[in-house]
Amino acid sequence: MRRRLGFKMLLPLMLAFMIGLSGCTSSKGNDAAQPDPTNTQNQTEGEKRQTEDGLFSIKDFSNIKTNEGEAIEGGTITYGLVSDTPFEGVLNYNFYSGNPDFRVLQWFDEALLTWDQNYVYTNDGAATYEISDDGRTFTFTIRDNVNWQDGQPVTAEDWEFAHEVIGHKDYDGPRYGSDFTNIEGMVEYHEGKADKISGIKVLSEKKLQITYLQSTPSLLTGSIWTYPLAKHIFGDMEVGNMLSSPEVREKPIGFGPFKVESIIPGESVVFTKNSDYWRGEPHLDKVVLKVINPTTIVQQLKSGGVDLVDSFPIEQFPDNANMSNVEYLGIIDRAYTYIGFKLGKWDEANKVVVPDPNAKMADVNLRRAMWYAVDNDQVGKRFYHGLRWNATTLIPPSHPEFHDASNPGIPYDVEKANQILDEAGYKKNGEFRTNPDGSELVINFISMTGGDIAEPLARYYVQSWNAIGLNVQLDMVEFNTFYDRVGSNGKDDPKVDVYQGAWSVGIDVDPTGLYGRDALFNFPRYASEENDRLLAEGVSEKAFDVATRQAIYKEWQQFMIEEIPVFPTLYRSQIVPVNKRILNYAIGDGTGVYLHQLAVTQEKPVVAE
Amino acid sequence: MNKVTGRIEEELRDPSTSPSSWTILWRELKKDKLALISLIFLGLTIVAVYGVSLVLDQKQIVRVDLFALYQPPSAEFWLGTDYGGRDVFGQLFIGTRNSLSIGIIVTLLTGTIGILVGLISGYFGGAADNLAMRVVDFFMILPTLMIVIAFVAAVPKYSIVSFSLIMTAFLWMGIARLIRSKALQEKELEYVKASRTLGSSHLKIMFTQVLPNLSSIIIVTMTLNLAANIGLESGLSFLGFGFPESTPSLGTLVSYARNPQTLEYRWWIWLPASLLILVLMLSINNVGQALKRATDARQRRG
Repeated sequence: MRRRLGFKMLLPLMLAFMIGLSGCTSSKGNDAAQPDPTNTQNQTEGEKRQTEDGLFSIKDFSNIKTNEGEAIEGGTITYGLVSDTPFEGVLNYNFYSGNPDFRVLQWFDEALLTWDQNYVYTNDGAATYEISDDGRTFTFTIRDNVNWQDGQPVTAEDWEFAHEVIGHKDYDGPRYGSDFTNIEGMVEYHEGKADKISGIKVLSEKKLQITYLQSTPSLLTGSIWTYPLAKHIFGDMEVGNMLSSPEVREKPIGFGPFKVESIIPGESVVFTKNSDYWRGEPHLDKVVLKVINPTTIVQQLKSGGVDLVDSFPIEQFPDNANMSNVEYLGIIDRAYTYIGFKLGKWDEANKVVVPDPNAKMADVNLRRAMWYAVDNDQVGKRFYHGLRWNATTLIPPSHPEFHDASNPGIPYDVEKANQILDEAGYKKNGEFRTNPDGSELVINFISMTGGDIAEPLARYYVQSWNAIGLNVQLDMVEFNTFYDRVGSNGKDDPKVDVYQGAWSVGIDVDPTGLYGRDALFNFPRYASEENDRLLAEGVSEKAFDVATRQAIYKEWQQFMIEEIPVFPTLYRSQIVPVNKRILNYAIGDGTGVYLHQLAVTQEKPVVAE
Repeated sequence: MNKVTGRIEEELRDPSTSPSSWTILWRELKKDKLALISLIFLGLTIVAVYGVSLVLDQKQIVRVDLFALYQPPSAEFWLGTDYGGRDVFGQLFIGTRNSLSIGIIVTLLTGTIGILVGLISGYFGGAADNLAMRVVDFFMILPTLMIVIAFVAAVPKYSIVSFSLIMTAFLWMGIARLIRSKALQEKELEYVKASRTLGSSHLKIMFTQVLPNLSSIIIVTMTLNLAANIGLESGLSFLGFGFPESTPSLGTLVSYARNPQTLEYRWWIWLPASLLILVLMLSINNVGQALKRATDARQRRG
């Protein structure tokens, strides 16, 4: 069981858990990344070219399906939810927590605002917005033809109601956080001191006004709660009962292109088209969603058992790159893998990070040498065939505006690593080095099990560090234990010095949720004044100017390379196969391709030759 | 004709004893060619596995090599490499050694415990028997496999020894039952009473007089148990509850096949281990069956 999760299929799982930036889980779902700007054109060739050394490059993938052939009227497609466990079935944006549930939700419900390739809200969605001059007050207008699937209009009151439910003291979903406390009057309402949220005003049936305490650039990239909750259905329900109610679990409702016809809990969902969809009537008659196991995914795709899947295990790609009946779409994933160093503790009472200058890994030279010692370029090429590649900074290229491509990070250089350790006084005593004061140095490294690559990869890192004379002990633990020990509940295991983790980053670039002083997810427990300053500046008012914000984050990326509380190891890509009969499909953000346009060229899926 | 004469002559030469159980076992084995071949194969495998793995450097074999992932069999890697660039041939030898070691250790330990418990409770009978059998009953109704899995998950670091102990804790009951029933029969025989009348101690009777009379049944059971234990270890490792991946065993090698890509495209990783398990099990069983026949005069071929 342990091995089955993991790098192979655990990705969605792992990422869904790890989502640190509030913007990511809270408002825009999980699946998004930025297509390479040079390659937004459709690629006519279905087969991906492989270089002579067997490598692939995400740059050769399009994120938009090539359209070949004429669409037929109607049609039914099958969508595979790749998972080896059932989906939980919390089918409402205001309550769900797992990525699988999100994959179900996206078919029948959507956000009121849409966003573009840079994750900035646009006025193309079900609602439009205007900002006041001080940047704190937003006025939203929901389009007139936006209706719930039972015929009732989606109103400003529904939107207000969603805020009231999430801010309610009995609310037991995962959404209440800094995005909400930033709304004027929200904290008072949450504590029961006020009946209404003073910052939210219903101006008319379709007009809503929200006033925020602080104006930050993050507001435009994911910090607005854009999912209404149907007041005519949930209005009379106790907030504490909503999560388990049949309206959330069995007969959910939304205003998306399809509506739920039937659900077999945890296994499958049948959707039929919502003729009243505000963008227009969907092409397809029916969508069948079913959970498929990652081990059978290739067979299912070949036989046409599924047309689309939500994710594809990357290590199965090279063997199946030439599958004849699918086209692979690909994007740069909004995520990175990294090695973290424990540098302090979490103060549970004050909810802050307390750095420990005497921590085993406190010496930055030691950390830098460990970065120099690993050859992530080769790791990406050999283990992942180029579909993951050497990471340089802590802002991944999925955010091209802010990723500093000119920063080389720290390249592989064993001699340099040895030299740094020699100069810092780590002398060799036999096979391994000791601390500068002569005491024994044993570094405990933990890594997650799961997938075929997890174990040899972790072992490769240990070997690399052994090669520069560091005595590193590896412990492979399964996913939940791993995050317990690293400190996801605030109780850090003191026996962990180094760990390998991965983060999915929010659509907003602000890294405070992962590296801020008061962030629980700041697992390295690193804090410094310079870091505080840079992070605060990144979301200050002057950061509304993109160039200024870029400069701030450029500085922060460089600062992290000097301080190395963690170092990024690999950037990731996401590859999704799509049956050739499918038209008008895209992955990623701001593509302008919507689910109601989805169509097929023939009744039955194309089958592999 | 010749043979029979030979046998009679043999027995005539030393008329005071009937052929010892060892002789009978050996004779039966010689008669059953399949069992004999199996025995030779087993012996060779054990010698080869333990011999070669002395020479092999385990650290070198489990070393991840980025530049040799998934190599098909070649002159350098006789059975190719796995997803970590590790030599499958070397892993096969070390894995077989680990699996065999566990099988043997567990068989010996369960055998020892089972014989002690069975012999004591069968020989004394009464309250001691009652008590021991209730304990056995208790262990028998436990869902053994589940508990072993839970134990393995709970023990943070396990080695061959601790893994064997965990398995032993739940596998000694069968043999205890068997020995007890035989001991019950045996103690009613005249020689036990005679020996007792002559003043021998209980311990002496149990271990020097009753036990040798049970030796053939013990050998048979333990041989068959050996196969079962190796199978159990491989099964647990296959499920991911045996050895960690860094310690090769037959089960971990086979479990590579759970990846559909490996199963379909890279047979060299899992096929040799699977075949080896099959052949080992068959051989041990062949030998065991031959021994079993030898203990029953009506079924003997030799």
